[in-house]
Amino acid sequence: MPPQRGPDGRVRLTCVLLVDGISKRYGDVVALDEVSFEVPAGKVVGFLGPNGAGKTTAMRAIMRLIALDAGEVVWNDVSVTPRLRQRFGYMPAERGMYQRMKVRDHLLYYGRLSGLSSARAASAADVWLERLGLTDRADATVQALSSGNQQRVQLALALLNDPELLVLDEPFSGLDPVATQVLAEVLREQVDQGTALLLSSHQLDLVAEVCSAVVIVDHGQVVLRGDVAELRAASEVRYVDVEFATTTTWPPGGPVDRMAIDGDGRRHRISVGTSIDAQRIVEDAHRVGEVISYSFAPPDLSEVFMRAVGRDTVEVSSALTPDGTDRTTGASHARSRR
Amino acid sequence: MSRPARQSTAGTIRLVAGREVRERVRARSFLLGTALLVLIVLAFGVVSNFIGGDDTPTIDIGVAPADVTAAAADLEEALGDTAALFGRDAVVTSIDTAAAAREQLERDDLDVVVDIERQEIVFADRVDDEVLAIAQQAWSSIEVRSALADFGLDPAQIDAALTPTALQPVSLDGDDGVDGLAILTGMITAILLYIVLQTFGTYVLTGVVEEKSTAVIEVLLVRANPHQLIAGKVIGIGVVAMIQFAAAVAAGLVSLGISGVEVPGEVWAAVPMSIVWFLGGYALYSTLFALAGSLVSRQEDANAAAMPINTALIGAYVLVFVLGSDPESTTSAVLSVIPPSAPLLMPMRMAAGAATAVEVIAALVLLVVAILLAWRLAGRIFEHVLLNRGSRIAWRDAAAYLRPGR
Repeated sequence: MPPQRGPDGRVRLTCVLLVDGISKRYGDVVALDEVSFEVPAGKVVGFLGPNGAGKTTAMRAIMRLIALDAGEVVWNDVSVTPRLRQRFGYMPAERGMYQRMKVRDHLLYYGRLSGLSSARAASAADVWLERLGLTDRADATVQALSSGNQQRVQLALALLNDPELLVLDEPFSGLDPVATQVLAEVLREQVDQGTALLLSSHQLDLVAEVCSAVVIVDHGQVVLRGDVAELRAASEVRYVDVEFATTTTWPPGGPVDRMAIDGDGRRHRISVGTSIDAQRIVEDAHRVGEVISYSFAPPDLSEVFMRAVGRDTVEVSSALTPDGTDRTTGASHARSRR
Repeated sequence: MSRPARQSTAGTIRLVAGREVRERVRARSFLLGTALLVLIVLAFGVVSNFIGGDDTPTIDIGVAPADVTAAAADLEEALGDTAALFGRDAVVTSIDTAAAAREQLERDDLDVVVDIERQEIVFADRVDDEVLAIAQQAWSSIEVRSALADFGLDPAQIDAALTPTALQPVSLDGDDGVDGLAILTGMITAILLYIVLQTFGTYVLTGVVEEKSTAVIEVLLVRANPHQLIAGKVIGIGVVAMIQFAAAVAAGLVSLGISGVEVPGEVWAAVPMSIVWFLGGYALYSTLFALAGSLVSRQEDANAAAMPINTALIGAYVLVFVLGSDPESTTSAVLSVIPPSAPLLMPMRMAAGAATAVEVIAALVLLVVAILLAWRLAGRIFEHVLLNRGSRIAWRDAAAYLRPGR
């Protein structure tokens, strides 16, 4: 099927990145074991997995930055070549910038390398500096920037050439909550314009908010993939959360597991099977105390993730992501310079 | 908005080179290094002028007595001209009486006094031979001039007779006797190339490894291929080297002016070819340094990888001095044609007039081929090492990457 082009001549919406059975081993270590997934244009796909699961290796493979042992990466029915990847935007997890170069010079240089004319490179640089809140740091050297700001420059580099596919390795790490929101907005805009987007992150709540689909890898293999809503719905577990006005002993018994009670015994969470009639459970709660709120929901993405990577023993209410990093990392950078 | 066009290969190389030049020229180390170099070169000129100035002081000559007017005037002119022939400046003073002249001599106001009346050359306690020779020759020339006038020759005929054709120096082995100087010019090219490569070749080496050892390369490679990156780096750093070199040369010319040393025409004539070999030598060796940098992934391994290149460079450098005395030999001829030693040896052999046109052309062709092969190899190995993270390639395995399809 020939790709459809928009009025501006750009291939749009029918574009899809196909990662087809890619494998890579480093000596005895299997980094990727027949990994396959798709990233369709117009969707944000979250790439999740514990540290060392193979996310970065897979992203490098998509950008043809490692030699694969097997498999293929295909963009729009065409195998990705060094020439083709020039239309992609890539942000590695490590900082990939000249430390002593000035921010704006860096963007101009990279824009020109991406094939933009001087004038277009300059206007693209200024647009992204403005958009990512870096205008007042344009003449600072990269090394003089806070880590969050360096991250923004790195993102601007990936976005400069208006890419068809964005591959972002940990784009949110080191960003404060405001910058996180700005970036989430920017990414949504890009995707709305028809860009395909694959991003990795450990901030699962953020992924749940930004991504419509996820690919979860562990030990170099895809363990789960699909739309976030479908994956959650597919779980055989549902949670009933009930909040009482006063401390209340509940549930009375029956085929339920109590999962958690908060400190003062007002908020209860019980897990039930999908076949349970939630209405009856809530009615039961009404009988033992004054219910001020209740909810019935499938597991959130964090739990889907942890079950997928075989760590479902971790408490759901824990604020820790599987690798032990604080999920609220963004907050600790709130004071970093913008 | 239309999608950006792809950047052309030449455009990419120019961009990479341009960044290299801008960032390096802006660096404080470059500015300080260049300033220091210029100061050192200028200082040489000032110091040699100071030392040289003592060697050739102005000669103060007195001519007495002043009443032998015609003879005194002639002698004054002859003394000035003769001193100029010897490369000296003479201040000739006419003094009324021989006695007054001797008084001035005793007061050290004069170096010598020519007493026209008594036909004596008078000095205080000692005088250097050159001054005596100048006075003697000047005296002879006016005597000859007056004798020729007595024979009825007019002043123009006398001038013609007294301005002999200069003899051309010819040595028995057939050359013109300026070999030493010409070979020195060739050697200077080799020395300068060696010095420039010691600094800027290292910049290429560490620059390649530095980019490769950080994530910078991942971001760059998405937009440019390794061949373009390497060519850009070599050319960019080359331009930086030339900027520094040009500053040093400009300072050198000023310095020459200050020192008063005259540069013979043969040296200037050798300059254009020297520049060609200099640039060719820089391109070959810096591309080889880039190749060495491509073999490794870590800065710690860079020097070990560059060892063979440094050895070749030092070897060729030493050969220039070993073979400088014998530019005609077969060994010299062969080594001046093959690439690793050609950029250093050929300028010396050309300056000595020992190289045939065929040898020069062969050397240039081989040099260009070697540069292209080194470039091709460097790009391929660079990519291979990067794509197979962490692996390091030994020199002996490097040649395999020249085969197409690797």
